[in-house]
This record gives sequence, C-alpha cells and structure tokens, in this order.
Amino acid sequence: MKMKPAKIFQHPLVIRVTHWLNFIALLIMVSSGMRIFNASPLFAFKFPSWVTLGGWLGGARQWHFFAMWIFVLNGVLAVIYNVATRHGRKTTIFRTKDIHGILPMIKYYLRINKEHPKTDKYNALQKLAYTSVPFLGIGVTLSGLAMYMPVTFQEIAFIFGGYDLARWFHFIFMALIVFFFLGHLFMVVTAGWWNFWSMITGWKRVETVQK
Amino acid sequence: MKTFDFFCIVFLSVLLCSCDATPSGKIEQGLRSFQKFNDGVQQAAFSKNKLAPKIEDKDLTPESKFRVNDYDTHTPPSDTTENWRLYVTGLVKHPGYYSLAQIKELQKQVQNSKHVCVEGWSQNIKWGGVALWYFLDWVGADSNAKYIAVECADKYYEGYDMESARHPETLLCYEAFNKPLSLQHGAPCRIVMPTKLGYKSAKWIFKLVVTNTKPGGYWEDQGYDWNAGL
Repeated sequence: MKMKPAKIFQHPLVIRVTHWLNFIALLIMVSSGMRIFNASPLFAFKFPSWVTLGGWLGGARQWHFFAMWIFVLNGVLAVIYNVATRHGRKTTIFRTKDIHGILPMIKYYLRINKEHPKTDKYNALQKLAYTSVPFLGIGVTLSGLAMYMPVTFQEIAFIFGGYDLARWFHFIFMALIVFFFLGHLFMVVTAGWWNFWSMITGWKRVETVQK
Repeated sequence: MKTFDFFCIVFLSVLLCSCDATPSGKIEQGLRSFQKFNDGVQQAAFSKNKLAPKIEDKDLTPESKFRVNDYDTHTPPSDTTENWRLYVTGLVKHPGYYSLAQIKELQKQVQNSKHVCVEGWSQNIKWGGVALWYFLDWVGADSNAKYIAVECADKYYEGYDMESARHPETLLCYEAFNKPLSLQHGAPCRIVMPTKLGYKSAKWIFKLVVTNTKPGGYWEDQGYDWNAGL
C-alpha cells in the first residue's frame, strides 16, 4: 500500500474569516471582562492581573465595549452565512439521531473503550458542541446587554431576573464558552497540524490509501 | 513537531493579545474615539420617558448596608447645611444662590431606585428630593440648552446631557431612607440619576451650570464613558 497526500476543501472563506475574528474578539472580551469582574467580584476570587486586559477598570471597559461590536456583528454574519448557504447543515448540526452517539464518544474519551466509534465527519459530541455554542453566544450577548444598559434594555434584564442576576448569567455563559474553547483546542491539537491549517487556507491535506 | 508548532502559535498569540498592557498612545486614542461612538449609540438608545424598573419597598437595600463609596478625592464639604447654597448660573432666567430650605419647599419626590456602580455592584435606595426638571423650570433654565454641569465640594465634577437631566427620575436629592442625607452620602444635596452609572450621581454639589458647552467629568476625563447610560 502506498500513501498519497490529497487535499480536500472544507472551510469556505467566510467561515475562516469569521472564525478568526471571533477568536480575537473573544480573547479581548474575556481578558477585559476578567478585569471588569475584578472591580467587584461575584465571589471570593479575583483573576490574576496578568491575564487581564485594559490595565484598569476604565481601560478594560473601553476594550470590552469595543470588542463587543466585533463579537456580535461577526457572530450575526457567521450565523446568517451558515443558515443561508446551509453550510454544515448535514455534517455539523446536532439532531435527535445523534443522541445515541454521545455515550460511546464519552467512553472513548474516558478511555473506557479503546476504539474510536464510527462517526461521520464530526462525532456526536462535536456536533453537540458546535450546535450549542452559537446559543451560548446569544446568551452571553443578551445577558451582557442586560448588564450594560439595565434601564434601556430592562425587558432583557427582566428575562435574566434583573441586573444583579444577569451578572451571574453573563459569567456562566462566558465560562461555558471558555470551556468549549478549551475542548476545541484539545481536539484541534489531537487532530493535528493539517486540521488546524485548513482553518487558515481552507484546504486540508489528508493521507489517502492508493489502491 | 506539528503539535509543538501549533502550541507555539497559540502561546505567542495569547501572549501578544492578553498581556497586561495599559493601552497607550495610538491604541488608547483609538479606544477613546470608539468610546465616543458608543456614547452616541447610548444617547440614541436613551428614551426620556422610559422609567427604571420599579423597586418595591421590600427589595430595598437595608439602610445599615447603604454603601459609602470613597472616591480618590473624598473630602467632606466645607459648609454647614445652614450656610450651604446651590449656586445656579449659566443659561437661566433666575441665576443665584439657593438654600436647602428653598429647595425643600418645591414639590418633593420620593422614589426607590437602583444605584448601579461602574464596578458592578448595585443597591436599591429610597431617595427623596425635587425632580431636577422641576427645579430647572423653577429657576428658568433655558430648555434649549444642551448640558448641565455640576461642581462638588470635594473637587468632583460632572456633566449631563439635558435629556437625561430632565428625565422624570433625575433628582436634586436631599434625603435617603426618609432622612436627610448623611455627610458620607453627599449632604446636604446631591444628584441622583437612576438612568446613569453611579459616578454620575455627584455628591456635595454646590454649583450648577446650564450651558451649551459640553462639560467633562471627574472619571470621564480619566477614561470612563461620558454617557454612562443604563
């Protein structure tokens, strides 16, 4: 058998651009958000200042309310693009039939089962993560608006139980997004260099077996 | 090796982007300009008829927990309540010095409002005073003027757009929890603005100017947003 490298195109330009803009926006949002959090922590914990952005509360707020526009507009663009072009509709969206795939994947990741379950392009857990993360984005945005302007957007603040509870929701949504990011990072590292490279160029090199 | 390369890129980008750099120079200027854009958006989103969410008496912060925030320049005002005057000047028909007794004669408004600090904490306070719009009409302030500026005994200063200043819940406040304001909370007279972040609710005011020149603010001039709309 002879291995022959082949290339497949898997990430269109809009997906790649919005992906990296989202990464930059999130980096700014989370790091400046931690500085804002430190000004009046929700619980007895402060983030070390070296992971925060802005230098002080005023600077952090400037970064946060700048990057929020990138985060939201970019997110809206990505969702519209995905829906309009039906990109990933078959490969990425989590559906009820995928429920059966969850447990085998967990067992595999926990090393209970050695063998990787047979899956489509993305496995059930990946589909679940990729499908739910836009909703985390919506949640973090709405709870953020409820905190930013709790009088003007008091109808949104009401959904979260008022200004003070919206702070908790905002923190939890942020933490879930960071949790997604860490899982995502782990998967990317294990999937290897070409998988990462395809999010930059669009093309993924795969080793195919020549018959 | 491929995993190692990848880690290097992630590590470097994290290092570049999230270092604890106080924005300086061009980045700071850019952020300050963008902040003015956000001020404009907040101003456009502001509705002078939209009241803050109603707060029941049972949801008030206990008076014993009424928080005192120490500003950098915290010092008590120099005057006694009896000698205190509010100097009103600028675009007004009746400029002059107004005593607390005169202000108290105007129709009193008591309201429960959430005081939201820029730091993130909030408190529900029962405030009492005269609606600022009523006071402004009473002194004959030019209703076409754009701004109100106030100066405080502790060298704090603030500025407001006229729409926010004339919001029905903006108070020229002299009471909290049905008692005269304590010294720490701005006695004898302060601004209360439930539609703005706490730093707009200036304490120990002694001068009020009606003007068309955009005033600064103690914290705004250091980098907080001028509009501070809630």
